[in-house]
Amino acid sequence: MPFLEDIAIAFIEPCVADPGRVRLYAEPSRDLAEVLPYLNAVVNHAAYNKDGPSLTFMKEFRLITIYPRRITMSKAQNTTDAWQVLDWLKDLINDTYDRRGSITPVHGVRWRPTALQIYEWLPRTNCKACGEPTCLAFAVKLLLGERTPQECEPLFLPEHASLRRAFFEIVAAFGYPAPPGR
Amino acid sequence: MTDSTERWGKPVCVPGDEDRDQERGSGGCLAGSMADVGIYMDNAASSFPKPEAVIEAMADFLRNVGGSSGRGAYRKALEADKIVFRARQAVARLLGVADVSRVVFTANATESLNLAIKGLLSPGDHVVTTSMEHNAVWRPLKAVERRRGVTISQASCAHDGTLDPADIEALLRPNTRLIVMTHASNVTGTLMPVAEAAAIARARGIPLLVDCAQTAGVHPIDIERLGLDLVAFTGHKGLMGPTGTGGLYVRGGLDLVPLKDGGTGGDSMLEHQPEWLPDRFEAGTLNVCGIAGLGAGVRFVLEEGVERIREKEAGLLRRLLDGLSEIPGLEVYGPRDPARQVAVVSLNVRGVPAEEVASRLDREYGIMVRAGLHCAPCAHRTIGTIQRGAVRISLGYFNTEGDVDRCVEALAGIARAAG
Repeated sequence: MPFLEDIAIAFIEPCVADPGRVRLYAEPSRDLAEVLPYLNAVVNHAAYNKDGPSLTFMKEFRLITIYPRRITMSKAQNTTDAWQVLDWLKDLINDTYDRRGSITPVHGVRWRPTALQIYEWLPRTNCKACGEPTCLAFAVKLLLGERTPQECEPLFLPEHASLRRAFFEIVAAFGYPAPPGR
Repeated sequence: MTDSTERWGKPVCVPGDEDRDQERGSGGCLAGSMADVGIYMDNAASSFPKPEAVIEAMADFLRNVGGSSGRGAYRKALEADKIVFRARQAVARLLGVADVSRVVFTANATESLNLAIKGLLSPGDHVVTTSMEHNAVWRPLKAVERRRGVTISQASCAHDGTLDPADIEALLRPNTRLIVMTHASNVTGTLMPVAEAAAIARARGIPLLVDCAQTAGVHPIDIERLGLDLVAFTGHKGLMGPTGTGGLYVRGGLDLVPLKDGGTGGDSMLEHQPEWLPDRFEAGTLNVCGIAGLGAGVRFVLEEGVERIREKEAGLLRRLLDGLSEIPGLEVYGPRDPARQVAVVSLNVRGVPAEEVASRLDREYGIMVRAGLHCAPCAHRTIGTIQRGAVRISLGYFNTEGDVDRCVEALAGIARAAG
């Protein structure tokens, strides 16, 4: 019997950062908390947030975040692509779990998103309400710790609820908690 | 008792024909009883019977799932989506394809061949094919010849349907955009030199389209190892699925113009077909019920093993060919060698029209075969039967040695009467 038997897609929607692609939530058939530090050790460039806990990384162009009871994937090409990547992920999780005796778990962050990656998940209005001339400048300042997500007003408008969820998954990787009632 | 009975355990017995059904070894894995319908030997048209799992998968979908794949956020729709993905995955595994998304579902091999041919060829292009093709290849080629000014060269095959790959190479021109060939003839069963053709095509950078209607599920195909570019298959023959299912493998990096445009689900904002496969070529609601059955059929094939299926069919074919060779007054076409063909044999009884032979086999012996030109006039021209057609016997995995013996006896009787 494998550690993880199944990952079931629970919700699919068009991807907010790229309408031609899809974003989805999936539910693993068991709690994944214990395997996350081991996955952090085997996945290159993963961002592990031990307070979540969550693990975020890129699989080619797709952004994947694993929580104990939930997996999100953004920018999957389509549902076929998503199922295929989830199968790959399930195998990776099971393989990592089987080999955990020989893997040294890593609890720190090994990767930070780039400003461009952050920028993709902003409303991109260049409204200047945050005090920065452009959204890209805001993304850079955010990475430097000189701005906080709450300073982006459009992000908290109702029409950007979906974008906001995705945004906070990414920034959670480097320690910003999601605002209440997101 | 045959080995198949041993493998499947307790057979289903039908009153009045216990022996034959027992020999078939259906053991509950078959849908329907062959005893009820006679001896089915038209598997090149459509395989019958189907594994019980195929019917169960389709009934389960209709009864308990019902959603349209890729079209909803509710769980039943996602379940439908997963059924389609698992079927796609099974096909990819069977045909040696790593990236599941390169397998596109269509309604049948004909649609797949139309998609490949019409999606690739432009005015001024040249295409090379063989003289053993089915109309599913030939008519789309003639259509692009008439409508787009595409030119066609046909490599001549020998009377037994065999092709010398050098004949393909000799026909290539600077503007050759595609090579199209069947993997095995639907008339003579002749296996074509696909590996050699693939090497020639690769060396020249010309895509190769292979029609696997007669081979998928009954003969090993390893698409990526062979380096094939486009592979058309049908779901209702060797893959054991229902009619209305089929597909096309499209190599990564090779783009086709979609045959149809329309809704694909999650990407409704786009004004054109998405670039990503398989959605690019799957506009409109998929035949999820059929694909559920196809998935079950392919899983059956994977569990049995293509090698084992091929071995059993080759054994039955050997027995059939040996039996036929003893009958005076028969003309048997094709290689007459199980190593060089799939389990399809065409023949004529001297002095008796093919249609009459087929009709007598059915009425007097309960044996179902097909007579005529089998939608393949090119192939019949090649083997010399364009005027009279032929009787085609096509064996399947569920035929038995007893079926073959009865068929041989029946043909001997018809030939004897014709004298």
